Amino acid sequence: MNGNQSSEPVLFEDPMANYEPRVYSSDLERALGEEEVASIPSQPFVVIGPDATVRDALQVLADHKVSSLLVVEDGQLQGILTERDVLERVAERYPKVSERPVREVMTTNPTVVYETDPAAAAAAAIAVAGHRHVPVLRLDGSVAGIVGPRRMMTFIRSRDLG
Amino acid sequence: MGFREDLCDESLDALAIRDAIAVRPLTLVRAAIAAMRSQSLGCVVIVNNDYAPTGIFSEQSVIQLLLRGASLDETSVSEFADPNFLSLPITTPISVAWDAIQSEGVRFICVTDTSGRLVGLTGQRGIAEYVSDCFAGQVAVQRLGSQPWMCAREGA
Repeated sequence: MNGNQSSEPVLFEDPMANYEPRVYSSDLERALGEEEVASIPSQPFVVIGPDATVRDALQVLADHKVSSLLVVEDGQLQGILTERDVLERVAERYPKVSERPVREVMTTNPTVVYETDPAAAAAAAIAVAGHRHVPVLRLDGSVAGIVGPRRMMTFIRSRDLG
Repeated sequence: MGFREDLCDESLDALAIRDAIAVRPLTLVRAAIAAMRSQSLGCVVIVNNDYAPTGIFSEQSVIQLLLRGASLDETSVSEFADPNFLSLPITTPISVAWDAIQSEGVRFICVTDTSGRLVGLTGQRGIAEYVSDCFAGQVAVQRLGSQPWMCAREGA
């Protein structure tokens, strides 16, 4: 024990005493900072298995009029196939790769956001990192949806209350 | 002034406008694809003799072309022009571009000068970057990756 204990009461200094809650300039800024990615429309989305052929994947893209497919196996995201992947890895050698599995031409390990991230994280993935298709995952890794510029714009318009 | 008012008051020149790849209607698809890849652009802009945009050949065009089995060396960009084409003068309010993207799903907007000549390209990406700049205090500070933030961070 410390034999020099003072009988004077120790003054407790509350570290949060000077805390000032964040002030937002608008409802929209508050929404970006405090609402979760789950608030952004992220459906519908289209999935395909990694063993589907490139030809089938292109057909699915065209049939559904979408610009990306989430490649999912056993409920977990394996990658994403976007129009840009088709341009970069398929277009000039289509006869050679058309019957190959999607897993060989997809983007693996894509940037993702989680449902519980702030909405601004999705905006950053789109605008700062430059991804047009950002998968949205639940914390268990399962796929919840996909967001892109257009869905982000829908979210922003709905929160822009002036 | 609110964000909505900004969209009405500011024109397309407030957006990031990228240099467009201008091609003639008879440009072969293989050349267009090579240019798109080298410039990391999702489309080329088809222009007429006055350098006015008349259409685009996009990544969606590429998919349609591949599915139909067309030859990259014997097909011109005009044969697979993307029907989702929009051209606007640079003086157009951003709100008009915003509405076109939201209601019609337009991805690319060809931006012209007041005489109709192609100036560059913007679209969904340009507007996303505009939003990011307007709310940089929220957007620019975000961590990004392929893992949940708590898993990706180092240490305790």
